[in-house]
Amino acid sequence: MATETGARLGLEYRDTNGFGAAQGGRGYYLPVDLAVRSDGRIYVLSRGDAIQGGNGIKITDIDHNWFEEISSRGIAPGQFISATAIAFDASDRLFMADEALHRITIFDADHNYESHWGTEGSGEGEFDGPSGIAFDRDGNLLVVDDKNQRIQRYTPDGKYLNSFGSAGDGNGEFSFPWGVTVAPDGVIYIADWRNDRIQRFTHEGKFIDACGTTGHGQGQFNRPANVAVDDDGNIFVADWGNQRVQAFDKDWNFQTSIRGAGELSKWAAEYIDANADEKEARSTFDPYPELDVNDPHEVSARTEPYFWDPVSIALYDDTRILILETGRHRFQVYEKV
Amino acid sequence: MATATNIGTELDLIAHLLRRTGFGSTPGELEEAGELGYEGTLDQLFNPGDADPLPVDLIRRYHADHNDLRIPPSSGSFWMYRLVTTKTPFEEKIALFWHRVFATGQTKVIQGKVMISQIDMFRKYGLGSFRELLIQLSKDPAMILWLDNQDNHKDNINENYGREILELFAMGVGNYTEDDVKECARAFTGWTIANMPYMSTKMRNNTLRPYGYIAWQFEYDESDHDDGEKTFLGETGNFTGEDVIDIICKNPATPQFIARHLYHHFVADELPVPQWPFEGPKDPEAIQLMVDAYFANDYSIGAMLRAMFESDIFKSETKRFARIKSPAEVVVGTLRLAGDFDWPTDDVYKATAACNYMGQQLLGPTSVEGWMGGDDWISTGSMVQRINFASDTIGDPDKRGVKAIVSRIADRHPSGNVEPEALVEDCLGLVGRLRVEDGTLNGLLAFVREQGDVDPSTEDGAGKITSLLQLIVSTREYQLA
Repeated sequence: MATETGARLGLEYRDTNGFGAAQGGRGYYLPVDLAVRSDGRIYVLSRGDAIQGGNGIKITDIDHNWFEEISSRGIAPGQFISATAIAFDASDRLFMADEALHRITIFDADHNYESHWGTEGSGEGEFDGPSGIAFDRDGNLLVVDDKNQRIQRYTPDGKYLNSFGSAGDGNGEFSFPWGVTVAPDGVIYIADWRNDRIQRFTHEGKFIDACGTTGHGQGQFNRPANVAVDDDGNIFVADWGNQRVQAFDKDWNFQTSIRGAGELSKWAAEYIDANADEKEARSTFDPYPELDVNDPHEVSARTEPYFWDPVSIALYDDTRILILETGRHRFQVYEKV
Repeated sequence: MATATNIGTELDLIAHLLRRTGFGSTPGELEEAGELGYEGTLDQLFNPGDADPLPVDLIRRYHADHNDLRIPPSSGSFWMYRLVTTKTPFEEKIALFWHRVFATGQTKVIQGKVMISQIDMFRKYGLGSFRELLIQLSKDPAMILWLDNQDNHKDNINENYGREILELFAMGVGNYTEDDVKECARAFTGWTIANMPYMSTKMRNNTLRPYGYIAWQFEYDESDHDDGEKTFLGETGNFTGEDVIDIICKNPATPQFIARHLYHHFVADELPVPQWPFEGPKDPEAIQLMVDAYFANDYSIGAMLRAMFESDIFKSETKRFARIKSPAEVVVGTLRLAGDFDWPTDDVYKATAACNYMGQQLLGPTSVEGWMGGDDWISTGSMVQRINFASDTIGDPDKRGVKAIVSRIADRHPSGNVEPEALVEDCLGLVGRLRVEDGTLNGLLAFVREQGDVDPSTEDGAGKITSLLQLIVSTREYQLA
């Protein structure tokens, strides 16, 4: 597992999308998840802070066009307090998980609030902090029930079907799982966050295998947050605590690791151009200063191009991957080569 | 002053030590320290184990704003978690001490990330050599931009940092000249941060765009350093910043000044700092004790404090409850007693805000002079905030710390009903061996008698004990450390 067989798959930087927008409107603020709709539009879940409030779900596309934002902070239907994840069903309805309200909210394809379901608890059909969500190959919703250390499966309208997993570090056990992804072949991938590994399960929830140990070497993880899988079975892991993304082939052979190479996005460049003092000051800006720290989080905090808290990954037309960063309020685009 | 506990026992002395080196003590902490004894407890304080606070990964996952720490509620509450959950509170007390002396504010430097890094630095170097601490302080990016040293150039000096390191940080008014200030500033030319023009512009504009804040990195720009001859505090040479710090540290005024700060923070309330040039220290013998330890131990702050804590001066009855708790001590001490924050919770923001309302915004001192402390902490408004916060926090019988107190009382009285005198004495002892005046004691006793019989093994009894605890943390005496 996780052995290096040569860098067969590479990831080349292509673009950066977004910029910070604490007050709403175009841009993101402490985003935690993103999802690509069937028409290519990209939805970014902008969680916001606990004081100024939730920032909404922001809608853009790969060419930096800005469309609109939906939802906001609050407890009313359609709002969120601590949103964690979004996912589209086959009809382009948008589902949103909220770990504070312990509920799943549904918007129709036109972004109208449709319904919500879920309540706090540890029984069937109850949540203690829903984090990742994804649809399985049958169109049912998998919900990572974080603090209950399990994965629950529901019909889209909220009818409980089944669950798998329990607390622990053995096969099929979890320690505060975060993201979930369903690969094109139906295999379920879980970011087993505090166990520093990714686990795979069959469509039915039977354990297949796991990859990863605690560390910062190849094939090791520090609190992996999310996973994406392409049509060839290549696996991309948001290695959150190590501030990087690692890629593996379908057999967990290490392919490559990237640290980030963000540049000024279209929106960011427009902002800099509109502010003469910042433009002048930035003319001498060295994005890679010499540092006296080694901690990856601290290094990212001081190095603008690097990923700072890469939290979510999404495939885009199976040729590109989008990597969302909570700390930098943007996502970077890489192409598979 | 009367007592409901056994004043004069070693356990009372240890409780006194834990109030000063920490935030008071839970029953378990005091019990463990009691087994070590006073000297053993001191040994452990100066040779601490793992702080084992609430893990940062959990905090960052469940509070997205604790990743970039951009806004004050985020950075303040990030520190609040550590203050409340650390197993080595002395480290935090030292960090709070230097935060007060080397007061730096997020109000100007804008980003909380570099403020937290400064606190980390205080934690790491705060008990070591004062020389090393001053070097770290002079290289600290938050301090550099707080006092404009990025604008201190060899051909155009900015005196701000050069002045404050002498006036506020190391020596105090009256121990240097205006020429010394200028020469000191010259020595620190070239001590700046990477990408200074862009970083200082972003600090001024205070905008999230384009990509949030970039944490600052110290950088020495040799080309901007004035390496000419300087005369500083009577010595002449081509001094660097490190040379100037050497001269400051060996000056007798420096340990005098630092010892008085340490006394103010750890022993008893002193006069506000602006009065120090005109009024001598309250306890010159205590100051001299620490000065001697400073010179005998390579400028060690830890040695100064250890000498103080081992002295009869510190142990004396007159030093017990001789300080007014800072807001941080009230908030953190009460939360630790209640056993809060063993998991990320939005209550951390309320606690941090409560500290603000009482007059101490963590990472946001009101000026470069820091907080005065002492009587300055108390006003009608702040007193109401103190009482309300403490009473509300301790008023939940389901909290782990409250349950532990009730459980201990139940264990002590297996027969059930507890006499009022015994109950009050138990509760005062279990909140850190609090000493109260006769009037307060009588009031507490009257309250218990009005409530009727108390059986701590019952829900009713737990509720009554919780109410008594609420009353105890609302007393005037609870405001004293």
